[in-house]
Amino acid sequence: MKALEVKTLTKRYGSARGIEGLSFSIEKGEIFGYLGPNGSGKTTTIRCLMGLLRPTSGQCSVLGQRVIHGKATQHNRIGYLPGDFRAWPGLTPRKLLRLLAGLGHSNEINQHQEQLAERLDLNLDRKMRALSKGNRQKVGIAYAFQHQPEVLILDEPTIGLDPLIRQIVLDLIRETAQAGATILLSSHDLSEVAAVCGRAAILREGRLVELAPISKIVQQGQRRIKVWFVEGTSVPQLLPGELAGVRVIQQNSNTLLVAYQGTIDALLKWLAQYQVDRIATTETSLEDAFIQYYQREADREE
Amino acid sequence: MRSFSIINGRQTVKNNHRPPLPWPLLRFWTLRILPAWFLIALMIFLVQLAICGIVHDNDRVKAMLQYIDVLGPYIKAFIGGDALEFGNIAGLIAAGYQEPLVLLLYMLFAVGVPTALLAGEVQRGTMELILSRQTTKTQVYICAGLVTTVGMYALVVVMFLGTVVSTNLYDFEQEVPLYSFFKLAVNGGILASAVGGIALLAAACFRRGMAVSITVAYLVVNYFIMIITQWWPRMKWLDPVTIFNYVDGGKIFIEPGWPVSDMCVLLSLLVISTVLGGVIWYRRDLPL
Repeated sequence: MKALEVKTLTKRYGSARGIEGLSFSIEKGEIFGYLGPNGSGKTTTIRCLMGLLRPTSGQCSVLGQRVIHGKATQHNRIGYLPGDFRAWPGLTPRKLLRLLAGLGHSNEINQHQEQLAERLDLNLDRKMRALSKGNRQKVGIAYAFQHQPEVLILDEPTIGLDPLIRQIVLDLIRETAQAGATILLSSHDLSEVAAVCGRAAILREGRLVELAPISKIVQQGQRRIKVWFVEGTSVPQLLPGELAGVRVIQQNSNTLLVAYQGTIDALLKWLAQYQVDRIATTETSLEDAFIQYYQREADREE
Repeated sequence: MRSFSIINGRQTVKNNHRPPLPWPLLRFWTLRILPAWFLIALMIFLVQLAICGIVHDNDRVKAMLQYIDVLGPYIKAFIGGDALEFGNIAGLIAAGYQEPLVLLLYMLFAVGVPTALLAGEVQRGTMELILSRQTTKTQVYICAGLVTTVGMYALVVVMFLGTVVSTNLYDFEQEVPLYSFFKLAVNGGILASAVGGIALLAAACFRRGMAVSITVAYLVVNYFIMIITQWWPRMKWLDPVTIFNYVDGGKIFIEPGWPVSDMCVLLSLLVISTVLGGVIWYRRDLPL
C-alpha cells in the first residue's frame, strides 16, 4: 500500500520556478530519502504534501486520501518537522508540545513526550527563547514523533544537532519505521540518508533527476584509485581521452589520483606499462555519487 | 472517522474527527492577548470615570467649554463637536466615547490583534506549526476573527460599565439616559468590530507591517473626514464616506428607537470585509 503519493506535481511561484511534474510514491513502512541542493524544491514538495501550499497542477495523497490545500488532510496521522522549526519564545517545550498535541487530539502524548525528552536529553521546562538552536531542534523532533504518527515528514531533522543526538535521531527514525511508520526524510546530509534510507529521490532545479535504491545511486558514481609509483621513476602522463571514462584528478611527484567509470580493466592494463609501487581504492560515498551525479547532469545540459 | 495503527507494538487510536473550532488554539490566543486587553480596558474605564468626574462639576465644565470655544471649531470638532454644550450632560458624557485617546485605544486593539494573530504568526513561522496539525486554515481565521470581535465587544461593555459606575459615583443635575448610552455602546461595538473586520482583511492579504499600515491609514482618513465634515459645512456631502458617521450620538439620544440603518451599514462592512478576508486567507499561499 502506498502511504504517500505524488502525481505530476507542479508548483510555480509566479514566473519563478518551484517544482515541475514530480511523480513518486512511498510504500508503507519505507524510509525514503529526498535529496537536492538548496532551492531545488524539496521544501515546496513537502509543503504541498502537508497541504500548506496549493499546487499549480498535479496532486498528492497521504494514506490514500487526496491532500486538499488548507484542509489538514490526515494531519492527525502525520508527524511533521519543518525545515526551520520556530516556536513561540515565551513557551516552555512542555507547554508548546501540549498545545500542538491538543490541536491534533492525540492520545498517550504525555508519557511519550517524557520518553522522547529523556532520550534526546531535552529539558522540557526551560523557555524556548533560552534554548540553543540544537535544543530547539530537539523540541521539533519531539513534536514530530510525540503522537506516534503513521507518516513522518522530516525536513532536515538533524540540522544543528551534535553527533550523539544525531545518532539517537537516526535510531528513532529506524525504530519508528520498524514499528510500521512511513518516513520521508529530506536532507542535505547525504551520509544520514545513506544510513537509514532504502530508496532516495534526487531533485535538481525542481525536477526529479533520479529515483532509485541508495545502493544503485552509489554505484552510478565514479570510483577512484590512487597509484604510487616506484621512487625515482617519473609519473606517466595520461592524456585526456586516452582511456575512455578515466580522468586524472590529482598528480604529484610520485602519485596519481584517477577517477574512472565502468570497469577498471583498461586502466590496469595502462598502468602495467609502468613501475607501480602500490594501489589503493576508495569506496564511493553517496556524497561523491551525488556530486558526480550533478556534474553529469550539468555536462549533459551543456 | 477513526483509524488504528500499530506503533511500537501498541495499538493506537487516531481520531480524525475534527471539532468545529480548535479550542486549544482559541484558548492560547485569548490568553496571549488578555494582558493587552486588560490594560486597554482599564484605560477606557478610567477615561469614562474621569470624563464623568469632570462633567458633574458645573463650574469646571463651564470654564472648560469656554476655553474650548476660544480654541476654535476645529479643536471642538476634534473633541466632541456640537455635543459640547453647557447643560447637555448626556452629550458631554458621550464625548468620552469618541475622545481621541479612547479611539486610539480601540484602534490599537482592532489593528494589533488580527494582524498579530494572522500575519504575525505567519511571519514568526509558527503558523506552519499550527497548520501542520488537525486544524484548517478556515478554522484558524475564524479563531482570529472571534478573538478580535469578542475582544472589541468586551471593550465596549467595559466602556459602558464605566458610564454606569460613574453615574453611581457622581451626582448629576439631570438624569443620565443609560439606555441611550447602551444603544450608543452597542452601535459603537459594531463600528469597532467593523474596524476589526478591515484589519482581518488586511492581515489575510499582507505581511504584518503592511496590514497595520493599511488599517491605520484607513482609520486615520475616516477620522479626519469626520472632523472635516463637522468643522466645515461645505464638506457635509462627505459624511456617508466615513465609518464614524454611522455612530451618531445625537440621533441615538434624540430618537427613541435603535439606529437600525446605521447598524446595518456597519454590519455589512463587518460581514463583507470578514468574508472577503476569509476567502483570500483560504485561497492564498501563505509566505511560510
